[in-house]
Amino acid sequence: MKKQNRLGSRLIIGLMFLFLYAPILLLIIFSFNAGDSSAVWKGFSLHWYGRLFQNRLIMESVYTTLLVSLLATAIATAAGTFAAIGLYSLGRKKRDALLTVNNIPMMNADIVTGVSLCLFFVAFFQGWGSFARWFNSIQSAIELPDRLVLGFGTLLLAHVAFNIPYVILNVAPKLRQMDRNLMDAAQDLGCTWMQAFWKVMLPEIKPGIVSGALIAFTMSIDDFIISYFTAGSASSTLAMTIYGMTKKRVTPEVNAVSTILFLSVLVLLVLSNLKEVRQEARERLGTARKSSALDRARMKLAEPQFKWVRRGSAGVLACAFLASVGFLSYATGSRPVVNVCSWGEYIDEDLITLFEERTGIRVNYQTAESNEALYSLLKSGGADYDVVVPSDYMIGRLIAEDMLEPLDYSQIPNFDFIDDRFKNLSYDPENLYTVPYTWGTLGIIYNTATVEEEITSWSALYDDKYAGNVLLINNSRDAIGEALLYLGCSVNTTDPKEIRQAYELVADANRRGVFQGRVMDEVFQKMEGGNAAIATYYAGDYLSMVDNQADGVDLAFVIPEEGSNWFVDAMCMLKDAPHQREAHMWINFIASTEANLANMDYIWYASPNREALNQYPAYYEELYGEELDPEVYEIMAAPPETLERCEAYMNLPAETLNLYKSLWTQLGVS
Amino acid sequence: MKNKLSWFAVPYVVWMALMVVIPILIMVVYSFTTADFEGTLDNFAEMGSYASVFLRSFRLALIATLVCLLIGYPVSYWMAHEGPGFQRLAMALIMLPMWMNFLLRTYSWMSILENNGLLNQLFQAVGLLDALGVDYIPLIGTSGAVVLGMVYNYLPFMILPIYSVIVKLDHSLLEAARDLGADGQLVFRKIILPLSLPGVLSGVTMVFVPSVSTFAISRLLGGGTQMMLGDLIEQQFLGGAYDPHLGAAISMVMMVIVVVCMVVMNHFGEGEEQAVML
Repeated sequence: MKKQNRLGSRLIIGLMFLFLYAPILLLIIFSFNAGDSSAVWKGFSLHWYGRLFQNRLIMESVYTTLLVSLLATAIATAAGTFAAIGLYSLGRKKRDALLTVNNIPMMNADIVTGVSLCLFFVAFFQGWGSFARWFNSIQSAIELPDRLVLGFGTLLLAHVAFNIPYVILNVAPKLRQMDRNLMDAAQDLGCTWMQAFWKVMLPEIKPGIVSGALIAFTMSIDDFIISYFTAGSASSTLAMTIYGMTKKRVTPEVNAVSTILFLSVLVLLVLSNLKEVRQEARERLGTARKSSALDRARMKLAEPQFKWVRRGSAGVLACAFLASVGFLSYATGSRPVVNVCSWGEYIDEDLITLFEERTGIRVNYQTAESNEALYSLLKSGGADYDVVVPSDYMIGRLIAEDMLEPLDYSQIPNFDFIDDRFKNLSYDPENLYTVPYTWGTLGIIYNTATVEEEITSWSALYDDKYAGNVLLINNSRDAIGEALLYLGCSVNTTDPKEIRQAYELVADANRRGVFQGRVMDEVFQKMEGGNAAIATYYAGDYLSMVDNQADGVDLAFVIPEEGSNWFVDAMCMLKDAPHQREAHMWINFIASTEANLANMDYIWYASPNREALNQYPAYYEELYGEELDPEVYEIMAAPPETLERCEAYMNLPAETLNLYKSLWTQLGVS
Repeated sequence: MKNKLSWFAVPYVVWMALMVVIPILIMVVYSFTTADFEGTLDNFAEMGSYASVFLRSFRLALIATLVCLLIGYPVSYWMAHEGPGFQRLAMALIMLPMWMNFLLRTYSWMSILENNGLLNQLFQAVGLLDALGVDYIPLIGTSGAVVLGMVYNYLPFMILPIYSVIVKLDHSLLEAARDLGADGQLVFRKIILPLSLPGVLSGVTMVFVPSVSTFAISRLLGGGTQMMLGDLIEQQFLGGAYDPHLGAAISMVMMVIVVVCMVVMNHFGEGEEQAVML
């Protein structure tokens, strides 16, 4: 090839690597940012690395990711190698048929594999549940658990399942190349079958096994979609955690963890490459180079009499690994636990630590995206929650579908502090199931720096003037509810015509490109960074955005003249929750005045606790040494005259819910 | 020996039945039933209204695959002609990002493409925004951003198989062709291209399938406005609209279309070695 040609091709290869690595480089640079943005540089700092190690969510998910990848690789490599050997001793026809099946998980889209495994696990759990109940009822010697849920076990099984085909595919060619007579020859020469296997076959196919294991590990680490569908709520890989975080505020802790991962892989890679290069050089130079002390030691160890050393140290390592896995699962498994599912940015996280310190109960705190997503999660069997915090209308639905467990209010003395306004509401008329968590209003949030006029009506959401700058709220109830309000209808209407009309309003604006996106908690970073001008969200979250808004962004909140929605989010316990005592303790703790004050201060949502609501301005003054702006307090805890203009959502009949559902799915299509 | 070893295949067959075949059968059952598990075809009938999502998914995935091929083929070709040290380094560099999870790689693009993101800041700095008289150039939330995300994430899946085929080409074939008077172009067209076809097919599959079914990329870089098949399916299982039966039906149709595409495509490469992995 001509020289200048090569220069050109190298340039293009270089450009491709620039494309591959520039984003990663930026990710790394911004992990050292003093500010909390990943786009605006505020100076050098190692702050986020410190924060990273305190972030339990991220650290736990890193641990889960590594553990599941290593275990899945080990299991899949062993199983895949044996399967490949088995396959190659079958007749050609059978083998080809099986190899076709083997290719299915690789040819299939990840999402199909994930979904089908999820359905399979859930179906199996249901079958197992009935079997276990029957088995437990006929005898009392062995008690089988009758409630299985998605978790680390299913995650591991899924990873093994999609890794095995890769191992087989890598081992198979080596088996094909191997001379079949070798095994027979070894046995003829007096080897036992086992010896022949270990000494003849395994070394022959070793390169295939190694590359298979490497690819399996890569696939495991890189996977997100299959984990997403099979891990359930109890365990979360790093990818899942980050996916959850991208919906809220992504802090540079994510950059920090990426940097650490990237650098450690880089170091491993450089080391292994160096070794190879050195080996090659040595081969080229023959024995010219003196062997180092390390090499000599290694050679010594390779001598047969040191076999026990090698075996022994391998054994010790394996035992240590198993022991640490065992210990960690014991440490996390033996403590009493309560599984809580709430919304993003919806608790002062110090409260979790405080509760854990006081009671010794571990809180497994998860978040869902919206009421509808929570419902899907509960229905799909992926969730293992004890306590959930849905909104009013969803509570109505959960009660109607018999998915909640009545609470024992004698275990929740703090319920007495809840203001009477928030008891016996329409969704739970006798107050058997719920303890209110927060309440608030829905409104329009806009950036006065880019929106010059004052917004007073929902019409701003559908206005071409703001095309590409409006964020549509990503749940059917709020998005269609806003349109209903604009049209002067009730948010609880069951008239299909009115609902369709409201939907058309939204869909039409969507077609005209008014909406920049459909967001839930993504709204925080979008609005705070000035990346969108208008959004609708909840009053408390508006205050928290103001707290974090970037320079040049000036957010305002308005409850439009057509009125709005006011809501109550309440804690409830799921039917047959496994940790009911702990759940009651958690609910009681969160209902206390102390916790409500802390939460009010942290998430800016109004508390239903009478004392906390009244004491908050004083609490604020004491904490910050300045008076709480009455306007802020008014946005937080809407006064009665504002609430009068607002309507609460109620649970809708099934056919209306179905209409909402199909309209909502279609919105994405239009 | 033969009989003894073939027993090794038994646990594997059981495992495959349990973890591959049965789950897909369950999915099929779901797709043909209602919430009360009564037989129905409604799920498929309903799908007509999602035709545009199908079209968009296939269109974007096709574009992404083509872009990957256009970048990936020449790069793999040139890389295969470099020295062994260069090749090893390049391979390592291509694999390296895959060890930090694809979601992290996608996330890194978010801060670049935002309206106030790094690219728009750069445009501002060079005066492009003022010249155009706009506050920002919309990048995130467009179909271009989604395609970019796909190309970025799946480009290695195109390069690796093509490279591994080209690097193993029998050089005596090329020399023979040259000796017989073929010029460089002819050699490429008549020998290298046909022989590297299995790698291309494998690469196309490995880029197209994840692209057409992604939901994380369209969600993160498309801002939820570029709904794709993956989003639609995810919504039916863990998202805002709970209907696993519809979700199963969509998954199945997608699976069938993809398999048909693959079979047709592999028809071209018939007689060649089965598609090569990595």
